[in-house]
Amino acid sequence: MAGLWGNIDYAAFVVLFCIGLYIIIAKQNLIKKLLGLNIMETAVFAFIVTSGMVDGGTAPIVGAGATGPFASPLPHALILTGIVVAVSITALALSLIIEIYRQCGTIEADELKGAE
Amino acid sequence: MRQALVAITVAIAAVPMLLAVAGLPRPGDAQAPVHTHVAARYVAEGARETGAENLVTGVLLNYRALDTFGEVMIIFTALAAVMAVLSSAAPRRPEDDAPGIASAIPISPVVAFIIRLTAPFIAVFGAFVILKGHVSPGGGFQGGVILGALLMLLSLVLGRGLERPLLPVPLARWLQAAGPLAFAAVGMLGLALTGALLGYPAGPDQQLLRELMVIVLELGIGIGGAAIILGLFLEMRGD
Amino acid sequence: MSQAFDLVMLALLIAMALAVARSKDLVAAAIIFSGYSLIMCLLWQHRGAPDVAMTEAAIGAGVTTILVLLAIGRTRRREK
Repeated sequence: MAGLWGNIDYAAFVVLFCIGLYIIIAKQNLIKKLLGLNIMETAVFAFIVTSGMVDGGTAPIVGAGATGPFASPLPHALILTGIVVAVSITALALSLIIEIYRQCGTIEADELKGAE
Repeated sequence: MRQALVAITVAIAAVPMLLAVAGLPRPGDAQAPVHTHVAARYVAEGARETGAENLVTGVLLNYRALDTFGEVMIIFTALAAVMAVLSSAAPRRPEDDAPGIASAIPISPVVAFIIRLTAPFIAVFGAFVILKGHVSPGGGFQGGVILGALLMLLSLVLGRGLERPLLPVPLARWLQAAGPLAFAAVGMLGLALTGALLGYPAGPDQQLLRELMVIVLELGIGIGGAAIILGLFLEMRGD
Repeated sequence: MSQAFDLVMLALLIAMALAVARSKDLVAAAIIFSGYSLIMCLLWQHRGAPDVAMTEAAIGAGVTTILVLLAIGRTRRREK
């Protein structure tokens, strides 16, 4: 139980998550919303990777001559899968945005809502 | 007005998250629950049981191999979905570009020369990262993305339509499926040897077989990832 | 010393995220997002996660930025 100043890293990642959430809700352009989604995703990845670090720890590679406390390898494996899922979501969303522009002529959310 | 209202709502939503974060153990604390339950066993026994000195690769390809199977299926499905969405769009440019000239983007000769000069070194580095992924930082997907980015650069320099003879479409489709196919093959091998899908034979004299299975999976993920990223780039450029 | 490095990186990340929110030119937002991805990669390398840092640098600053720029090229460049 370290208080907010001891967990300044976690607090900064919460702030980044909220900035991403603000971009998704308040901005109208679809590509800007997608960038906000990516900011939210990387903030969550950073939170989980930071929770796996150790003071004075090194990368979790046990070779010959590797000493010292190791960072936990489980969050790293989780986040590698998460990054791949994030790029898949980005690719599919961008192709849908291209198709929306081709069909409707606009990619602003309020104009799309008024058109249907 | 609307943006100010959204900003106030998001700020109010941030307060419970900040309160929750303040109650967590300090990052870097060696007695935090993340280090004392399962991770301690992975760090102590990982190199011996999985055959990979890079513990992250060991966790990804041995302890949690089923999750990685799902991950390669996700990116393969994303490529299939992008092709399905964009297949109804008309081709963007007529195929009347002179070969060797990059159309529509004026690539300066300096950039083209630098790309052609460094491409072999980047390819060797990408292959190195894939193959040494189980003893040093790196792994299948990292090397695959490096090779995919190199292929994107080369297709910018070569111009439209010239990457097709280098990598014909039927071969490209098989390479894009290399990730799921490698996982299915190694999974069936594990099923035959141990009775569990993607199960590794656990015996001190089968260390070589374990390392071989890890390398086959790494190659599948790497080559599949590179082909899928190039496929995404070509689909979205308008082919 | 490393605490100061961490604080500077985190402040830079928050500033870049705010810049992505405020920019009206989408190409500028994509390039700032690429820089944000690189700073995130440095932060993770400092925390002892070289695999994750390599993946984030290659994907965030490479693949995602290029795909967003391709999509901007086929739609509009400025946000209304």
